Amino acid sequence: MAQLPALVDGVERLTDMMQAPPDAFVQARGIGKRFGALTALRDVDIDIRAGEVLALLGDNGAGKTTFVKVLAGAHVPSDGTLRIGGDTVRFASPRDAADHGVATIYQELALSENLKVAENIFLGHELVRPVLGVPFLDRAAMRARVRVLLGELDAHIPDIEAPVGSLSGGQRQAVAIARALNLDARLIIMDEPTAALAVAETRKVLNLTRRLAESGRAVVIVSHNIADVFEVADRMIVFRRGRKIAERKRAETDPDEIVALITGAHPDARVADQP
Amino acid sequence: MNHALRRNLVPVMLCVLWVALLGTLAATHAWILSPRTLTSVLQFATILSLAAMGMGLVVIAGGAGIDLSVGGTISLSAVLGMMGLGAGLPGYWLPMVCLGCGVMLGLFNGLLVTRLGILPLIVTLGTFYLFSGLALALTGGGAIAGVPDWAVGWGRARWGALPMPFITVVLPAFVLLSGLMALTSWGRWIVAMGDNERAARLAGLPVDRVRLMLYALSGALAGLGGFISLAWLGSARPNIGVNVELEALTAVLLGGVAITGGRGGLVGVVSAALLVVMLRTALLQIGINTVWQTGAIGALLVVALLVNRFSNSRG
Ligand SMILES: Nc1ncnc2c1ncn2[C@@H]1O[C@H](COP(=O)(O)OP(=O)(O)O)[C@@H](O)[C@H]1O
Ligand SMILES: [Mg+2]
Repeated sequence: MAQLPALVDGVERLTDMMQAPPDAFVQARGIGKRFGALTALRDVDIDIRAGEVLALLGDNGAGKTTFVKVLAGAHVPSDGTLRIGGDTVRFASPRDAADHGVATIYQELALSENLKVAENIFLGHELVRPVLGVPFLDRAAMRARVRVLLGELDAHIPDIEAPVGSLSGGQRQAVAIARALNLDARLIIMDEPTAALAVAETRKVLNLTRRLAESGRAVVIVSHNIADVFEVADRMIVFRRGRKIAERKRAETDPDEIVALITGAHPDARVADQP
Repeated sequence: MNHALRRNLVPVMLCVLWVALLGTLAATHAWILSPRTLTSVLQFATILSLAAMGMGLVVIAGGAGIDLSVGGTISLSAVLGMMGLGAGLPGYWLPMVCLGCGVMLGLFNGLLVTRLGILPLIVTLGTFYLFSGLALALTGGGAIAGVPDWAVGWGRARWGALPMPFITVVLPAFVLLSGLMALTSWGRWIVAMGDNERAARLAGLPVDRVRLMLYALSGALAGLGGFISLAWLGSARPNIGVNVELEALTAVLLGGVAITGGRGGLVGVVSAALLVVMLRTALLQIGINTVWQTGAIGALLVVALLVNRFSNSRG
């Protein structure tokens, strides 16, 4: 009889899977992540669809970054399965994730300050003309492609020969997004993209986010800013203590409800507060 | 201070030091500035430049990278090369044996650093003692004579005032490695991993493999240095690499490489290596004791470290 709960669980998961709309690009099921004794994620089910912006919300330490890192191949989940583009995947590294079309723009932007704009955008995927196996950079081709990418994003970086260390926060964000676009990412994950930005730059990044979704990509955005989220997201998921406690379409909710879910005042938040 | 000046403080300082040194010599000991001195400086700078280029790339690639074992590698690969001949290997194998020993010793450092995650300072300090100790133990402290004539002929030959080993090994190595750094993706990876290792790993760069290769390269260049010492001196001396690590590190830092990685290039490193040798040669010719020569290099290293720290503090 001990197997019964597991069996019920399995059947539930199976029916969940069958009910998931066929177009969900990412299907995460029962994702769990433990760091030693600490459980950072517990039994998280999430679908992410192409052409949509999905926002992940939650208090500090709720597990948003951890979940996103599982998608990005930076953490191997302790439990659960991940299907991307119809394949069951098990990412051992960010490289694996990138090969499946997943690109991540991290909270602390992962750029190299001493490298130029184009060098950062192409890092690890340089356009080269090999001579005897030695990968000689094709700088002209890379510069041309960078202009196209930045144009597509409507991002203004006056000097693309400048080291990234000399750019503003919003410009760096654009570089990071251009990098994702260049890798032909199908899922773009942005962890707190506007946290360090001025108001005008935040506007631009939010516009970029919409633009990415409208181009048919799936976008996941982690944010603390409810106003930003309501402006760009089609769907919202709230985390609390490592669990997914709520999922809402934008049209079916309002900022007050989301805040109540985040702070734990909402009845649905209680599930996460049981030991 | 102006941001641009601050970023370029080390190159500026290097130029100032060159001008100051040559100016002082021209004013006080003009006879030193002769073709003979040029030959002697390049002769002595040959081994140092090779070691400094290897160390420079290891430091640029970050991860607290440093290779203090270069001097030991030079001595040990020279000794092993001659022991190989003693064991019956044909003479023309000598360069390959020295190079091969250098690569193996460098790989050993690289494996300890990348696989076991031990701090490079500790690893290479340990292998410095290990390699130099082995070189001494294997020879009992004496020299091994019997370097083939063709090698000695090449090692002491000149083209005008320029020593042959400098022209045929240092220059090509410099051009090759500078080209690699400036023109290939490998060069960008090395800078990127030194600048922000986390970003480099997230971008999927094979950081550990590149680092391993760089320690092997540093070893290879030191091995070549070992062979050049044989060709120049005509025998394997177990102490030939003494102090090379100190001078190479001085050249690297004085040459504008950030000790924290991600910044600097080989032009600065080689020109700083030449400066170090020029200074030492001038002191020698003026008749200043070798103890003071080492002290002067040490002082230069400390200054380079201070300026390095100042020009790299961000913000
Ligand atoms: N690499 C790690 N090692 C140990 N604990 C971690 C690690 N990363 C995150 N955690 C812990 O997991 C929990 C969730 O963190 P995180 O996903 O960063 O939250 P959020 O992004 O929602 O603020 C926190 O308690 C955090 O301390
Ligand atoms: Mg976070």
